[in-house]
Amino acid sequence: MDADLATIVAAREQVLERLRATLIKQLRLERAPDELDPDMPLFGSGLGLDSLDAVEIAVSLEIEFGIHIAEGGASPVHLRTLNTLATLILDGGAVRAR
Amino acid sequence: MPADLALDALRTSAALGDASHVACVRVAGAGAFATIDRLCPRELFLRDGQLLHTLLLREDGRPLADVYVCADDRAFLLLAEGLSGDALVEHVRATAPVGADVEITNVSRTHAVLSLDGPYAWEVFAELAGPEVIGQPYMTFFHDDAVTTFRVGKTGEYGYYFLVPGEDADDYRAALRDRGSAFDLATANLDALDQCALENWFFNIRREGREDLTPIELQLQWRVSYRKEYVGSSALAALRGRTTHRIVQCAGATELAAGDLVTYGERTIGRVINAGFSQCRGDWVGVALLESAYSHAGIAAYAAVHAEVPVAIRTLTAPAVNNRSLYVNPQLHSYLTRDEVQFPPLVLPGSSCASPTAR
Repeated sequence: MDADLATIVAAREQVLERLRATLIKQLRLERAPDELDPDMPLFGSGLGLDSLDAVEIAVSLEIEFGIHIAEGGASPVHLRTLNTLATLILDGGAVRAR
Repeated sequence: MPADLALDALRTSAALGDASHVACVRVAGAGAFATIDRLCPRELFLRDGQLLHTLLLREDGRPLADVYVCADDRAFLLLAEGLSGDALVEHVRATAPVGADVEITNVSRTHAVLSLDGPYAWEVFAELAGPEVIGQPYMTFFHDDAVTTFRVGKTGEYGYYFLVPGEDADDYRAALRDRGSAFDLATANLDALDQCALENWFFNIRREGREDLTPIELQLQWRVSYRKEYVGSSALAALRGRTTHRIVQCAGATELAAGDLVTYGERTIGRVINAGFSQCRGDWVGVALLESAYSHAGIAAYAAVHAEVPVAIRTLTAPAVNNRSLYVNPQLHSYLTRDEVQFPPLVLPGSSCASPTAR
C-alpha cells in the first residue's frame, strides 16, 4: 500500500474508531466496537436508533468532531451509517461548529 | 441500454411486485418462543406487531436465509428469502428444542406475497386501504381481514409486503394496479428489486449470500449477537477477530460482474461478488470482497478486471443512492404534486464513478 492510500485508510479508520467509541458511550450501546460494521444501518432495521438518538448523535459529533448538524446542517443521508458520518467528518462537515 | 420502467418507478413513484421468492412460515404453540429464540441470532425482544430483521445461520455460522421474524400474538411469522417454505418448515422442525410444543405451518402453500415499493408506495396503498395506513411505522405489521401488511422492503424506499390468501391474490393485485394507475404504478420483477437492493446495500441471499461468507465478512454483525446461543453461534464466535476480508460497495464506469478480480497495482486484493448496472446513477454498482486493510469507502485506486480488461473502480460510502423516500413526507407530499417540490438528486454530487471526487 503506497503512502497516499495508507493515509486515506488511516484517516478513515481513525474516524471510525472514534465514532464507534462515541456512539457506544453516548447511546449506551451494549455492543463491542468490533461489532459496529462501517456500513451497518444506524436507524430502522439496523441498530434501531430513533429520532432522540439522532439528536444525541448530532450533539456528540459537535463535541467530538466540531461538526454541526443539529439544525438541518446535514441531510438525512449523512446519518445512515458510521461510514456516512465518517465521510461527512472527513469532508469537513456540512457546517463547521461556530 | 434501454430504460427499465420498473427501475425508474421504484426510485421515483411505485412498483408492484410478485414476491414469491419470500417464503412465509408460522410457528405457534407453547414452545414457539423457545423454538424461534434458538434459531434467531439476535436478541428476541419483540412486541406484538413488530418485525426483527435477522438471519438464519447454518451450524458453520454462514447465512442460510435472510429473515424477518414477526411477533404475532403468541406465535411468530417468519418471512424468509433463501429457503422455500417447505425447506424452512423442515429447518425449524429440525432445530426446535427436543419436545417443544410447536405447530409449524407453511403459509406459502395457501398465501401469496406481493410487494409494493417506491417513494410513493404509501400513497398507492392508502388509496386502497385508507389514509390511516400512512402512519404505519417501519418494521411493523397488521392484519386486516384476510390480508397481512408488513412495512418492510429492501429497496431503500417506502415498502410493503402483503400476505394475501392465494385465491384473493389476483383481485388484490388488480385492486392495487387500479388505484396505482394515477401514480404511474409499474410492475417490478425480481431483477429490478435485486438491483435496487444492490444499490441500497441490502444483503442479497441469492447473490452474495451464495459466496459462503460469514456475517462478519458481509458487514451483517448487526443481525447477530455474541451474547446468546443459537444455531451457528459457536462457529461465529470462533470466527470473530480472525476475519481477513470484508465487503465494500464499489462503482465503475463500465461493466462489472461477479467474479471480476479486484487489483491494486499488481496485487490482487479481492473480487467482485455482485454487480449490476444502475440506471439512476448511470454507472455499474457492485459489492466487492476485499482484504480488510483495503476495504474502505472513498478510494479510487483499485481496478476490477472484467473480461481481462482492468476497469477503474471507486469504493463508495454505501448506499449508492440518495433515496427520495428520505425526503418524501406523507404528511406534506403527494405524487400528484411532486413537480412542485424540489427534491435532492438521487445521486449525491461527486458520487458517480465518472466524477474524480467520488466518495
